[in-house]
Amino acid sequence: MIRRGSGEISNKAANRAIWLEQGGKGVGLVTLLLGVAVFLLPFYVMLAMALKDQSEVATTSMWSWPVHPTLANFVEVLTNPNVSFALFLKNTTFIAVTSTIGVVISSSMAAYGFARVEFAGRDRLFLVLLATMMLPGIVTMIPTYVMYASIGWVNTFKPLIIPAFFGGGAFNIFLLRQFYLGIPRELDEAAVLDGANHWTIYWKVLMPLTKPALVTVGVFSFMGAWRDFMGPLLYLNEPEKQTLEVGLRTYTALRAEKWHLLMAGSVLVIIPILIIFFIGQRSFIKGIVMTGGK
Amino acid sequence: MVLSTLCVLGCASAQADISLRFVVWDGDEAMKVITSEVHNFEVAHPGIHVKLETVNANYQEKLLAQVAANVAPDVAMMDPADFQRFSTRGKLYSLNQFFKLTPEFDLSKYYKNLVDAHSLNGELYVLPRDIAPCSVIYYNKRLFREAGIPYPDGTWTWDFQERPDLKDKDFLWVMHRLTKPAANGGLPAQWGYSPGWKELFRDMIYLQMGARALDDYASPKRMLYDDPRIIKATQFSADLALVNHWMPSDTEITNALQSNASQLFTEQKVAMFQSGIWEVPGLRKELIPGTKGYFEWDIAIAPVYAHGVRAYPTGGSGYCILKQTQHPKEAWLLTQWMAGPHGMLAMARAGLAQPGIHELAISEPWIPGPHTPIDQQVPHNRIITDQSAPYVVFSPTTIYWSEISGIGGQTHELVFRGTAKAQDVMPPANLRAQKRLDALIHDERLVPFDWKLGGVAGVVLMGILGAWIYAPERGKRRSTRQKKDNLAGYMFILPWLLGTILFTVGPMVLSFLMSFADWDIIRPAKWRGAGNYVEAATFDPTFWKALSVTLMYTVAAVPLGVAASLGLAMLLNTKVWGMPLWRTCYYLPSLASAVASALIWKKVFQADGGILNGFIYSSFGHLAGLDKFLAPFADATGKVNWLGSEKTALFSLVLMSVWGAGSGMVILLAGLQNVPQYLYEAATLDGAGHLSRFRNVTLPLVSPTLFFSLITGFIGSFQVFSSALLMTDGGPNMATTFFMLHLYKQAFLSLRMGYASALAWVLFAVILVFTVAQLRMSKWVYYEGGK
Repeated sequence: MIRRGSGEISNKAANRAIWLEQGGKGVGLVTLLLGVAVFLLPFYVMLAMALKDQSEVATTSMWSWPVHPTLANFVEVLTNPNVSFALFLKNTTFIAVTSTIGVVISSSMAAYGFARVEFAGRDRLFLVLLATMMLPGIVTMIPTYVMYASIGWVNTFKPLIIPAFFGGGAFNIFLLRQFYLGIPRELDEAAVLDGANHWTIYWKVLMPLTKPALVTVGVFSFMGAWRDFMGPLLYLNEPEKQTLEVGLRTYTALRAEKWHLLMAGSVLVIIPILIIFFIGQRSFIKGIVMTGGK
Repeated sequence: MVLSTLCVLGCASAQADISLRFVVWDGDEAMKVITSEVHNFEVAHPGIHVKLETVNANYQEKLLAQVAANVAPDVAMMDPADFQRFSTRGKLYSLNQFFKLTPEFDLSKYYKNLVDAHSLNGELYVLPRDIAPCSVIYYNKRLFREAGIPYPDGTWTWDFQERPDLKDKDFLWVMHRLTKPAANGGLPAQWGYSPGWKELFRDMIYLQMGARALDDYASPKRMLYDDPRIIKATQFSADLALVNHWMPSDTEITNALQSNASQLFTEQKVAMFQSGIWEVPGLRKELIPGTKGYFEWDIAIAPVYAHGVRAYPTGGSGYCILKQTQHPKEAWLLTQWMAGPHGMLAMARAGLAQPGIHELAISEPWIPGPHTPIDQQVPHNRIITDQSAPYVVFSPTTIYWSEISGIGGQTHELVFRGTAKAQDVMPPANLRAQKRLDALIHDERLVPFDWKLGGVAGVVLMGILGAWIYAPERGKRRSTRQKKDNLAGYMFILPWLLGTILFTVGPMVLSFLMSFADWDIIRPAKWRGAGNYVEAATFDPTFWKALSVTLMYTVAAVPLGVAASLGLAMLLNTKVWGMPLWRTCYYLPSLASAVASALIWKKVFQADGGILNGFIYSSFGHLAGLDKFLAPFADATGKVNWLGSEKTALFSLVLMSVWGAGSGMVILLAGLQNVPQYLYEAATLDGAGHLSRFRNVTLPLVSPTLFFSLITGFIGSFQVFSSALLMTDGGPNMATTFFMLHLYKQAFLSLRMGYASALAWVLFAVILVFTVAQLRMSKWVYYEGGK
């Protein structure tokens, strides 16, 4: 895989490489700086609108920074007695945390099975797994709803949590399978020689080695549950059971969007995910995984 | 007295506590009013509890699902355009039978045409709560004074020509006089008039000429967008904006701040704008006496055609009682309370909705009087809401309307945009819509779906799938170790397997069966054989276009998106100061609310004053030759109208998708952690350059993740539609009609779930072919721990 050069030029090359490395870093930093402006745009606009009062939102450009920034919108969103932010936060947290636990456990198990164990029918079952992603959810939505209604799950958190414990979604299984396939087999074989069975290999060898992937799956499924709109909208009826994403939508009335409140709500909704991402991304530190030893 | 009678009735019929579910779609402002009025109802009716729910988005979808699953609410909000979906399927109570329960109830006090709009064959299905004639012209008094025009008293008329002899009694003359041309020949500094949305003026014009869009609004046979009067009205409306510049064009309205004509009004960019009365609370909040930007304003009734009749488009809403309710009588008491004097007065006091009862709509609090607070006196002339009520025309109520008007109306925006003449494009589009209507009517005579046979087919299908999975294993001999592995393997995938069998397979099989049926979610399915598939391939006017749009989008967006994600991930995998912050910033667009993102991108792509064009047509862009380079894509104004032109709309959405590369970046970032640092160091020492290290070290080791990104990227991209829904609604002229957008509209707007299922399975087959092809060509993927 790695080309072997001759020893003589390697020193020079190394110097050049170090120089390039520094230069590359500089270029990288500049690119990052330029790009970040474009990528921060949505958050900037959301924040700017959240800090304006209603008439300023209506009369000034979307891009302008508020003349008199105000926290009044945040206060209103947080304290409106008819639209209880605290209650929505509690519901959303409960759903997101439990379903994320379910997703991480059950999808990593299935991924291990598909990546590391040779069982009858594996490859074709894997295609079935992929196929479950290919049918648009719109046409299965009503039958699924009828099914959950028939077992009394409507107006409970169950349809939003329990399926997570049964596989956790083809997307996550596929992702983790790819990571497990990237870990050398020698590690399992060494463990087998030490008397380990599949469960030990799964739990003690692969789980720790694929932390970045597990974090990715965790962050994604947490975010997915946190930001889910159609699920809670369909399955939860009572106002006391609403989640943030659905509950705050009440600030959108027909033809009368309250942008200032909507945006204040949106900013509040994404802050927890940002914190989780910020913490989670620490596992993406170069060189933590020791693989490919030859 | 009304109150006490109701209480007697309510108390009598409610021995044990009864709980009613009451669902509305109102936002927080109206919810405050409804909540307190529901409370008043409960106080007046001990023993009846009302659980109030609000569904602010996808209201109809949720109600359909609930009705299909037999968990519908007792009382639900409904409007003329939608109630037929439920009433023609026997899901709503006819309200006539309840009238005698409440002797003081008098239907004749409601506006007659409002009652008619909520009735079918003489039966009332929705008790109207409000009426909203779009006949209200909001006008700026100061601008009228400055132009020396008397305030409008509603006696004005319009003709197709400006009539200077009639002066202020001619609407076009007023419109013209209030327009201030720009000094340099550009866009006017002030327009005379703007409709609240682009079709409003056109619709009023043809309604007053006596034309209608369908021969029968409830059960149509003929689609009439080829009526010369409608064609003339459409062209006239477009010309006023594009030739005369007396009113802003559609692009100019959406270019205005939050795409809203009332903003143009408060900013004094238009002197008059037309809409419904619901704009009042917003205007009151923005135009506060004594503050900057305030001006005097009032309302006037919209003009009538000099050679025609008075007519105005309108909306309205009310409450219906679902057949599934256990307590129809109590449901009626609630309905009659909320859509009767109590509920109407509460809404009127808040200035939110015009009462559907005539005598309430002509008195306080709806009409300002001595008891009306000073800040609610404006607009003074609110009596016009009642004056125009007899002339309102509701939208068609047939369930086919959204689909056939979509097909027939595709070309209207081309006319409004000036790229086509109405007489050239409207008749052919109407023909396509008529064909569709004929086919839909024809389908009403199908035989019921045989569920026994369907069940057998489902079981057989599952058997075939099982046999296919097992086929390669047949006749294999296994060692003890392999048997152990078999067991272990199935134990690991057991949760997924169970979940798939329990939650996923059933609905999938059902949707496959329904793809051979005519199914509207509520009524029993009917057998259609291969009809859905034949229809898709042969006479659905949208199918092939939608498929090719989706293919083009996918082929462009996925490779671009994956490349961008990989590039970002590599940049963000270096050791630069503040990396966690950088990563978070780049991930942010994936978190921003879809609505906010759509808002931003509309502003970026805007033809005039958009960021992108601002850059391209700046001196820098000119120096770099960007303007020349893009000249072939520019429209008549010489600029590129990114979302508004057929040539660039799809590409713009591709560009927008790259912006969401943040989640792909996270996955690849995780993948890059699999590349040990020492391999780079070794390669560097061996004299490998950047490119070589990328090709020989990074790429192989990150290839499993890259492969994942590609496969899931393709699967996801084929099913994309939210960006099109929010940004372009499939236009212009179908240039961004994604397959899923078509499917979604078929399923939930036209209620053709059977046909939508067939479309879904076609898409499934396409994605499957794509995926299997990629799996076959996956030799480039390097698995360190493969097999």
